[in-house]
Parts: sequence; structure tokens; C-alpha cells
Amino acid sequence: MADVCLLTTDLGGCDGQRRQPPNGTPLFRGPGVQSSFELPDAVPRTLRTSPVSAPVGFRALPVMLSSPLPVTVFVRGTHRRLWAPSHIEAHHPICQNCYIQFGNLKEIYRNISSDQVGPANVSCRDSLLRSDRLMLVFLLYDNLLEIWGWSDCKHCLAVDQHSLTNDTLYYMAILNESLSCFEKHQQQGNHSELCKECKPTYKHLNDLYSRMDVNKTLCIDIEDAMNMTRRLWSKNFNCSFPREETVPVIAVSSFMLFLPIIFYLSSFLHSEQKKRKLIHPKRAKSSNSVANIQDKYS
Amino acid sequence: MANITKKVSWSSRGDYSAQGEDTPLLNGDTGAARYTRQLSGGSIFHIGRLSTVDLEEDITTEEDGVLSWPKEIPHNEKLLSLKYESLDYDNSENQLFLEEERRMSYMGFRCLEINRWVVCGLIGFLTGLIACFIDIVVEILAGYKYQVIKKSIVNFTEAGGLCISLILWAVLNSVFVFVGAVIVAFFEPIAAGSGIPQIKCYLNGVKIPRVVRLKTLVVKVCGVICSVVGGLAVGKEGPMIHSGAVVAAGVSQGRSTSLKRDFKIFEYFRRDTEKRDFVSAGAAAGVSAAFGAPVGGVLFSLEEGASFWNQMLTWRIFFASMMSTFTLNFFLSIYHNKPGDLSSPGLINFGRFDSDSVEYNLYEIPIFILMGALGGILGALFNLLNYWLSILRIRYIHRPCLQVMEAILVAAVTATVSFTMIYFSNDCQPLGQDQSEEYPLQLFCADGEYNSMATTFFNTPERSVRSLFHNPPGSFNPLTLGVFTLTYFFLACWTYGLTVSAGVFIPSLLIGAAWGRLFGILLGSISPKDSNTWAGPGKYALIGAAAQLGGIVRMTLSLTVIMVEATGNVTFGLPIMLVLMTAKIVGDYFVEGLYDVHIKLQSVPFLHWEAPATSHSLTAREVMSSPVTSFNRIEKVGNVVDVLSNTTTNHNGFPVVNEFIDNNEPGKICGLILRSQLIVLLKHKVFVERARSRLNQRKLQLKDFRDAYPRFPPIQSIHVSQDERECMMDLTEFMNPTPYTVPQETSLPRVFKLFRALGLRHLVVVDNENRAVGLVTRKDLARYHLGKHGLEELQLAQM
Repeated sequence: MADVCLLTTDLGGCDGQRRQPPNGTPLFRGPGVQSSFELPDAVPRTLRTSPVSAPVGFRALPVMLSSPLPVTVFVRGTHRRLWAPSHIEAHHPICQNCYIQFGNLKEIYRNISSDQVGPANVSCRDSLLRSDRLMLVFLLYDNLLEIWGWSDCKHCLAVDQHSLTNDTLYYMAILNESLSCFEKHQQQGNHSELCKECKPTYKHLNDLYSRMDVNKTLCIDIEDAMNMTRRLWSKNFNCSFPREETVPVIAVSSFMLFLPIIFYLSSFLHSEQKKRKLIHPKRAKSSNSVANIQDKYS
Repeated sequence: MANITKKVSWSSRGDYSAQGEDTPLLNGDTGAARYTRQLSGGSIFHIGRLSTVDLEEDITTEEDGVLSWPKEIPHNEKLLSLKYESLDYDNSENQLFLEEERRMSYMGFRCLEINRWVVCGLIGFLTGLIACFIDIVVEILAGYKYQVIKKSIVNFTEAGGLCISLILWAVLNSVFVFVGAVIVAFFEPIAAGSGIPQIKCYLNGVKIPRVVRLKTLVVKVCGVICSVVGGLAVGKEGPMIHSGAVVAAGVSQGRSTSLKRDFKIFEYFRRDTEKRDFVSAGAAAGVSAAFGAPVGGVLFSLEEGASFWNQMLTWRIFFASMMSTFTLNFFLSIYHNKPGDLSSPGLINFGRFDSDSVEYNLYEIPIFILMGALGGILGALFNLLNYWLSILRIRYIHRPCLQVMEAILVAAVTATVSFTMIYFSNDCQPLGQDQSEEYPLQLFCADGEYNSMATTFFNTPERSVRSLFHNPPGSFNPLTLGVFTLTYFFLACWTYGLTVSAGVFIPSLLIGAAWGRLFGILLGSISPKDSNTWAGPGKYALIGAAAQLGGIVRMTLSLTVIMVEATGNVTFGLPIMLVLMTAKIVGDYFVEGLYDVHIKLQSVPFLHWEAPATSHSLTAREVMSSPVTSFNRIEKVGNVVDVLSNTTTNHNGFPVVNEFIDNNEPGKICGLILRSQLIVLLKHKVFVERARSRLNQRKLQLKDFRDAYPRFPPIQSIHVSQDERECMMDLTEFMNPTPYTVPQETSLPRVFKLFRALGLRHLVVVDNENRAVGLVTRKDLARYHLGKHGLEELQLAQM
């Protein structure tokens, strides 16, 4: 996550005005990021020999490749297993934290890929996008776009992509309400109390989520948060529905299963068995032919 | 002369009973007994082991019994029914035919050829439309049903009272199945089952009564919708093949006798030869629509009806298949709001396998073969159980109301079992991003998870197959799969043969996919953890499905291609082929394929590929029926009417002999005339005396015979006055002057080959002076079969 945001800011170096990460944006520092500025050796040759000296921030790119990229986490099919971190703290909202940076990233990339010619008569597009065989910048941007696409962030962002939608904010408020309720009752140590007390808010949250699911206004933040909450509710606090009606279900089922037995028995005993009338075909010199066969086989 | 229908009452109920010629309908008081003297079949009599012991006594004792009352036995599979007749595939080259051919121009023949193509295109188009209709209606109704049940389950999980959901489910199922069973049992019993056995018989050359009628089609389509929506363990693919065949038989005739509409087109095709060819095209179109497998459809027709075949016909059939797939795709794409997207083929869509998920290696081949053997054994078990069940059904549950009741019970039990399985299942899986489950049920699972058992049970069978194929590894517990396989196996076995129209393809695939997936999971768990060799349980699900289906229906060629086409993966052809081959070999060791079992149970005189192996010692003399009822070239009308009205000898073909000799002495053969031709002649009163008196009377043409086809009126509906009985008929013009004949010494396999290859209906046996001494028909040949104790003979029975 941190990598994503970092990349967007660092890429800003291309047009000369390196931006600092805006204050207040939650930036989680991953292990790869800490050493990102001190690893010139990791920069591939193609980058070093590029006509434009690579901006400082841009050196972070290869590091990010070697560090665990978010891409690997969100590969389709596997990420369904990873949805529910066990603690609230481990939940990283993607859309909420990164939409500003991502907007910047897109802007910058548009700059890079445009035909504008910079100082020394070299265009950014040639020097950055086409300088290496891997087309690293393009590849990274493409991957990030893909991640962004998977996260469905556009559902949570307003049309101008610069703020969260009201739905999302409302959902977050309800979520917090539920979580604080959990927290309050968790300290009492009695989960059955919690199940009872927090049920209205949790149910509200759940319903809201289902409605948003139907409206297709879900993004990864909401899904993750919901998963985490559901996990807390069902697994940690054990508030799922208990299986209580075993006896009636068994009774009804065995009654149903008993019916065919009665049916088959009664039809076997009472129904008239269907008989077939045999017809005897006319055959040539029948006795003769039987005799023939006899001759042949005796 | 435009429409004969108006002139003659077609039904036998007409004025016939008023005339007092009330002939008993073969109920066998006097009539049937007359022939019992000759050879008592007794029980099945084993020619191979015939010994000299007690033969005389046997005959006499039986004779006594038979004379007083015809013998009655409970139904079994070693009978031949009298109600089935052959198709007249052989062309009657009489003078009318030659005349017509002379009159027809070169252009006329070209037009005929073009018409054939047009008809095939129409067949494909209409079959595709029907498939589309079935698909959409099933989707809508099943969706509605599952929504209702799901809502109820969700409500009652929270509030308590899940029994009510259970009962709701059972009742909904029963209501649908009730409708489906009632229309089948009371309106058109021939529409029961998958219809593939019937079509197989038709392509073999047996005329199954009412099998290709419009009414059958309507009942079939409605019935299959009801039974699939009713949640039975059935599929809609088998009935699709039957529907295609009916469409073909209807379209090619250019009229509907049921609706009394004659469009005056395609009149040339109104005979068995042409119709049968079109029916094979229709069956192919049906397969192609059902599985999205045009080539598989062609091969299905080839595999099931290959005795009469030619290249142009194959090409036309292929055209019909392609048309039907195209039509189905086109209309489904419109329905799915993607008009013009033609890439989602078939009623059943197995989904595309990614090529890396079905990679296989040489060392997996033995495992595939092992799975094939397992499929063969399980298939044989399925067939055996179903055979016993079918015998029970035929013997005891033959009244329509009982049949409807049985179907309802099965539906209710299916719902109950499914519900119980889901209720007690502890297998919870997280909801995925790419959710394939249409109706995920949570029940007692944690929030955000769904009940994995519900994926298989709470769904239409077709969707369940798809999720078994494609859901990522880990979506199913081994226990869930095991329990599911077991229950579904018995449910499907119980369901097939009910009086509802439903196929067995999908249930077989589902059973196989479940145990195949289980097999794959177990294989993965016993192999070392780090190796990725046995990845992809979906692959094993596919192999298991092929093995199980092959073990049950025992088709090889067409099934391989159908599976390959339906999965869209050619590279997986070899494993599927191996698996089907193994399944067939292993299964055939125990019991025949399901369709063959049911053909036998229906007592159809079905001709297999070859005569029984040990039958060379049997000659035509022993096989034939004798003495022959024959006519003179110039025959008295009264005589003809008497012979035709004689219900005890319900003959269809009569040799025409040269000179009149008394009844005991056979005459020299000069032709063969069919019952249908005689009836048309009688109806039009083509008598010698009349021709003299009214010279300007129009000459009878081949068209008149075609107009009466295929429902020739029974002889009783034709009024012949006392004066007319004394008239004479000249058969020369109408008889087939060159019927196929064999000498008396011809061996059974030779006769058999003639029948099979030429599609004969009658074969005259002549002595060395060319006198007709006997007649061989299909039933005479079909009664010999190779049993456990050598050559056995089936008995003729009336049913």
C-alpha cells in the first residue's frame, strides 16, 4: 500500500517539482520503502545510461519490484482467501488513502506519455517510457491501474474522483458505530451479551452492505471492512445462528422418506401385475424345423 | 382429389361398428389360438442347447394350456411387442414411380435437392428456437423458485421454523412435477423419458407409434420444463434430441396431420425413406443445440443410425446441426442483452477451461484409465439398479395415476434429501469475488460464507456441473462431495424412467463430476505437499463426468466429440477418449448401456449391428413365417378386404403371385404389395370393372399414396359394398415388381445383413421354383439374441 502511494509522489520528480507526501495522508511504511533511496546499485543499467539523469525518486522503482508488490497479493482467485485480517488495525483502506495520490499518478503519467518536449530537447516519453526493454514505468503503471480496477475504487469516489461518496462515508460511520459497540461489550467478556446488544447496529450495517451490493456501489475498502466485521461477528464472537431445529427437520424428512416405501409396497401388493399375452407366430413346418435343429445339435 | 382427408373418415371409429363387422382385436379367444398349434414358444427356448428330451410332451402340454387361453406372463425384457412395425425404407419401384420419374424434368430433381437443403436449414432453425425457448423458460422459472425458497430459508433461519422451508420446497417441486407428469401420463406417454431410445429405434428402422407427432413435441417440451424446474435429478438435453427429431419429421412433410393443415410443400418427401433421413438430421440438430456440439451431433446420428448412410446426407445433417447451434446462440445472445455475440454455445455450457488448468502429463494417463474403469463399474451399477426398477414399474406401476403419484413422490423426496443434506452440512466456504453460485445459501455458516453443499443441491443440475468443473481448488470438502455423489447417484437412478420427460445426461455428468473432483482432491492430498502435480481438481471432475456418462450410456465416438466441443478444449480429447473407451469396455462386461436396456424393456424389435455370433446354422427356412398370405396379380376385392380385416394376421406386406393356385400351394412370385398401398387402392376403388365403366376416371398417381401417408386409415374405415366385393383389382401397376428374395437355405446372418444394410421390411423366401414359401420380417430376425446359455429366442407378445 505504501508503495503505491510512494510511487505516485516520487514519479512527480519527472517534471522537476518533486512533491513531498502530503501531510496527514496515512502512509504505511513497508519494509522495502525504508531503504528505497539508498540502493543505486539496484538500478538497472538502462536507467543509469539514459540520457536524462534519472530523478531521485524514480530510483525507487526497481526496489519496489524487489519488494513484495501489492500485485502479488491481489492476484485473482487467491485474494478471496485473504480478505479478512484478524485485527481491525491490519485493515488498510486502499481507496480512501490513495485516491489523491492515484489521481496525481494518472496526471503525471499523462504528462510523461504526452509529446511535450522538456529541457535538453528530450521528451519524457522517450527517456522514461522507452528507455528500457521491460518498459518498467509503463509496466508499473499498468499494474497499478489493474489493481485500481480490481479494487473498484471508482464506486466509492465521487464523479470528479477527488472525494469519497456520501454512501461510503455513511457506511464508514455505521461501521464505526458497530465496531465501537463491539469494543464496548468485548471488554465485558460476555459474547452472548454482545450478540444481543450489537445486533441492531450490525444488522443495519449488513443490510446497508447488501443494498450497496445490489446497487454496485461497493469498493474494496467497504468489502474489506465488511469482511473483517463479519469475521469478528461470526468467528470471534460466535454470533451465527445456531442449529436448533434438528428434531423437527428430521421428523419431517423421515416422514417424506417413508412415503415412497408405503407407495411401492402398496402398489406391489394391491396393484394388478401387468401380464403380457404371448402370440405364437406361424412358422413353416414347425415340427420339422425343430427336428432340424435337433439333428444339427445332437 | 385435393384432399383425401375430407372424403374418407380417417378414424376407425367411423361407421365401421355399425356394419357389424366387429372383428375382435387380437384379444385372442379364437383367433390367436388358431396359430398356437404350430409351435409353442413356451418360455424362452434355447436352440443352442436343445436336446431330445421331452420335446413332444412339452408341446402337447403347452398346446392344451394355450388352446384354452393364451399364455400370459409377467413383463420381462425377453419379449417382442407386436405394436412396433418397420419403416418402409426400401423404395417401391412400381410403374407409378417409374412414370413419375419420367415426367419429372432435370430441373425437378435439382429443385428436390435444393428443397432438401432448405428443409435441413429449417430443421436446424426450429430446433435451435425450441432449445432457446426451453433454456429461457427453465432459467426464469427455476430462478423464481429458488428465490422464493431462499427467501423463506433466510427468514426461517433467523426466526426458527426451517421445516416450513423444507415443506415449501417439497411442495413447489411437487407442483411442477405434477404438471409435467400429468401431461405425459395422460396425454402422451411416449414423451416420457429422454426419448433417445425411441429415436434410436426410429433410426434403426422401427416405427414407434406416435413418436414423431406434434403432440409429442408439445408434451415433451412442456414436460421437460416442468421436470427440470421441479428440481428432479434430470437434464434437458435428451429431450432436446427427441424434439429435434419431431421437428424434422414435421417440417419435412410440409403439413401437420394433427392440425389438419397442408402447406402443399415438400410433397415428395412424404415417405419413410426421406422422412427417416430428415429425422436423423433432426436428432443431430437436437444434440448440437443441447451441447453446442455440431460435430458431435453429426456423429451421434452416425453412431446411432449409420446403417443407411451417404455422403450428401452427412453433409446436410452437418448443415442442420450448424444452423441449430447458430440459431440458439443468436437468440440467447439477444436474451442476454448481447445481441450478435455468438460465442456462448449450447443449452449446457461447461464453461471454458483455461488451458493451464487442464494440462496433463503422460503419468496421468493410467490414472485416467483407472477413472474410466471406475466410471464403467458405477455406470453398470446404475443401469442394473435402473433395470430392476423399470421392471417393477412396468409390472406394477402402469396406471397413469400411479405414475403421476410416483413422480410427485420422487420430487418431494428429492427436495427433502437436498434440504437435509444442506441442513446438516458443515462445509462453509467464503463467498468469492467471481461468484458462480447464483443462489448462495448461508444457513448456519458464518456471515460472508455460504454453504458448500447448497452449491450442488440448491441449483439446477447444469449449474452444479459447472461449479464442480470450475470452482477453484478448495471450494468443496471431500466429505461434501462424497455424500453428494452417493445421494445423487441413487436419486438419479430412481428418477430415470419416471413418467416425466427428462434426460439422463446431466445427472450422469453431475455424479461423475462429483466423484471425479473428490478423486482429484484425494490424489492431491496423498501426493507430497510441495509438488504441484495434481493441481486442478476441475480436470478430474471433467474426466469423472466423462467416465460416468460413458459408463451409463456407452456411446463412444459421439460422446468424445460432444465432451471436447462442450468444453472447448481439443487437447483434452485423448484422455476423454481413453476414459470413454475404458468405461465402455468395463461396463459392457456387466450390463448393456442404459438406452439399450430400455429398448429391450420396451420389447422393440431392434436390429443390432450384426446377427448373433452363433446363428450361422439357422437358415431362412427356420426363421421365416410360413405359410405366406399372398395375392394374385388380379385379385378379388372381397378377398383383399377379408385378408386385411383379419386382425389375427396383422400382415403388412403381401407377395403377389402369378397364377392362382389353391391355398396350400404357394405360387410363383412376381411382386410385393404393401397394406398401405392396398388400402389406398380400396379407398379410391381402383377396380377393373370400374375402369371399364368410367373411362375418363383419373388415373391413380403416386401423389395419392403420399397424401395418405403417414396415417393410412385402418381397413375398417373403408366401406366396401357387397357388389364391390365381387369386383377384381389389378395389382400389377402398384406392386413392387422386384422385391428382394432369398433362397430357403440362406443363413440367418446373410438375411440379417440384407435387412440391416438395405433397411428392408419384408424379405420373401422362395424355393427353387421361385415360389413364395415364406416371408421374413424384422421381428423374425430380432427375436434371436445371444443370451447366457447360447442362442435364445424372444417371444412375441401383445401389449
